[in-house]
Amino acid sequence: MNYDAGDYAASLDAAMAAADYAGFAERKAAAAKKGKLRGIGMSNYIEACGLAPSAAVGSLGAGVGLWESAEVRVNAAGTIEVLTGSHSHGQGHETTFAQLVNQRFGVPIDSVSIVHGDTDKVQMGMGTYGSRSGAVGMSAVAKALDKVEAKAKKIAAHLLEADEGDIVIEDGALKVTGTDRQVPWFQMALAAYTAHNLPGGMEPGLKETSFYDPSNFTFPAGCYVCEVEIDPETGVTEIVQFVAADDFGNIINPMIVEGQVHGGVAQGIGQALLEGTRYDASGQLLTASYMDYTMPRADDLPSFKVSTSNTPCPGNPLGIKGCGEAGAIGSPPAVINAITDAIGITDIAMPASPSTVWAAIRATKH
Amino acid sequence: MYSVNYHRAASVADAAKLLKSGDAKLLSGGMTLIPAMKTRLAAPSDLVDLSRIKELQGVKVSGKTVTIGAATTHHDVASNEKLKKACPALAHMASRIGDPAVRYKGTIGGSIANNDPAADYPAALLALDATIVTNKREIAAGKFFTGLFETALKDGEIITAVTFTAPLKAAYEKFRNPASRYAIVGVFVAKGKDGVRVAVTGAGDDGVFRSKEIEAALTKSFTAAALDGVKISAKNLMSDIHASADYRANLVAVMAKRAVAAANA
Ligand SMILES: Cc1cc2nc3c(=O)[nH]c(=O)nc-3n(C[C@H](O)[C@H](O)[C@H](O)COP(=O)(O)OP(=O)(O)OC[C@H]3O[C@@H](n4cnc5c(N)ncnc54)[C@H](O)[C@@H]3O)c2cc1C
Repeated sequence: MNYDAGDYAASLDAAMAAADYAGFAERKAAAAKKGKLRGIGMSNYIEACGLAPSAAVGSLGAGVGLWESAEVRVNAAGTIEVLTGSHSHGQGHETTFAQLVNQRFGVPIDSVSIVHGDTDKVQMGMGTYGSRSGAVGMSAVAKALDKVEAKAKKIAAHLLEADEGDIVIEDGALKVTGTDRQVPWFQMALAAYTAHNLPGGMEPGLKETSFYDPSNFTFPAGCYVCEVEIDPETGVTEIVQFVAADDFGNIINPMIVEGQVHGGVAQGIGQALLEGTRYDASGQLLTASYMDYTMPRADDLPSFKVSTSNTPCPGNPLGIKGCGEAGAIGSPPAVINAITDAIGITDIAMPASPSTVWAAIRATKH
Repeated sequence: MYSVNYHRAASVADAAKLLKSGDAKLLSGGMTLIPAMKTRLAAPSDLVDLSRIKELQGVKVSGKTVTIGAATTHHDVASNEKLKKACPALAHMASRIGDPAVRYKGTIGGSIANNDPAADYPAALLALDATIVTNKREIAAGKFFTGLFETALKDGEIITAVTFTAPLKAAYEKFRNPASRYAIVGVFVAKGKDGVRVAVTGAGDDGVFRSKEIEAALTKSFTAAALDGVKISAKNLMSDIHASADYRANLVAVMAKRAVAAANA
């Protein structure tokens, strides 16, 4: 398997511009006037997502295959249920998966329901992790939609006495291209179930399943730039600017993608600056409650400047790379690089808490 | 939680009587006592709730004298307009305790009775040379805070109020624990007509204390610059997962400087 496609230079250029890298020296001098140490740090990452070709993981010793399954049920009223093996626990599959159906058939988004996480209903699923819900889970849905579309066009062509190849689906109707003849989506669906007038030999109903096994991993990549100001008297690090420029391939829902980046960056900043489990010599956990374990909170974070570029992923039908982990991968090294740049050292342990940073500054003076 | 007898006291006298039932404890805001009961660090048989007693509520300012009822919440201290004029440093301090939920429930009486070594009020009251009033007597702050979670209170004694003379200048600077928001180091500086008092919380291994070095320097000149040469010893300071004694010693000096600058601003 190879790194397939990505515009790495585009992420780098976008990040450098958004961060005003050229103006950094001036900002550093202004911070020094206030008695603050200013530093800038960068990280370029590439990750392997969209897990994963079953044969590949099998050769690595996995006990399962990492395909995904989908079932699309068009009901007699034209409403659509999508059963997916990708579980949604906050990533918004209910929205993005429904968008996919809406974009394909033009049916109202609220006539699409997404069923997940119910083993009584969903036959099999391999789960949600490694940014695989979009690249693998939605690809399975797309494959099932292909089958639904093909059968729907056959039914419509039969009803409209047209050629199957001339049917297009637009705005919730199946139309004969170049004419005003059409049959609404819900009427086609009803026809599939009344079965009064179907093409010869066609089974009634409209319900398709698919199993999708990816041909490669996907490779999201990006460039993150963090700028900090450190108060040398207390060791407190303030993140004054944070830029994330990612190449996520095609994007179905920009707001959800941005939210995933925000959450990931917050988690990564938490790891870099705040979060750490500590034990005493006898093995007793000392950070056993949120009175001692510091989760990142809104006032620990700046406004993020995020952007994406969209090199389609050639490995799946939707061109999706995935965005679930990027924020948490790219941010800790960017933050730590900014801190070491500000202090003039090469390494500092995470979490770079105020006391750790203060001790590191003091060590440079001895 | 386990089962416990709950009593809502109607007056301080009523509370004193109820406190004699079984192994009873006073309940004020419950922000410290209830979590302690959940983990069984405390297991009273009875709770005597002070929070509805009228005579324990509210901030009074008469001339230069400030009196705060024991069951007054941090929120009510922080938002009292008269106090904001008489002693803005104390109102500001209360506004930075914990989070909004803690400030709406937690009270000054509960805070000082508990005397957590990282709590804010002990530093304020010690620096303001406040008097702690109980149902039995009056105790000077300097005699009240006796050690880690230790006070001069006797069994059955109930704090009813705290009173002090408004200082000429004062300010509190706190380096917050990023998780709990308690003080890793908090320094309250107050310049009164009888001199300068500086109290430090969060840092001492025996609880809140007055810093003689800082007081001496500020008595000469009540300016941040007066503290430039002052070194704080790490001896007798706490060391824990959040901060070493050395780091705390540094923070005492830094917070003191910033507090003086704020008091003069
Ligand atoms: C998340 C969190 C963050 C916090 N952050 C801070 C902070 O930043 N700074 C800070 O200073 N504090 C902080 N606190 C503590 C908070 O201020 C508590 O409210 C305070 O310590 C106890 O006050 P209470 O009214 O809740 O007392 P309770 O929990 O009701 O009582 C505490 C103790 O005092 C006794 N007591 C109560 N009232 C009286 C009285 N009138 N006379 C005699 N004994 C009495 C009780 O019997 C009990 O032993 C925090 C607490 C939490 C939960």
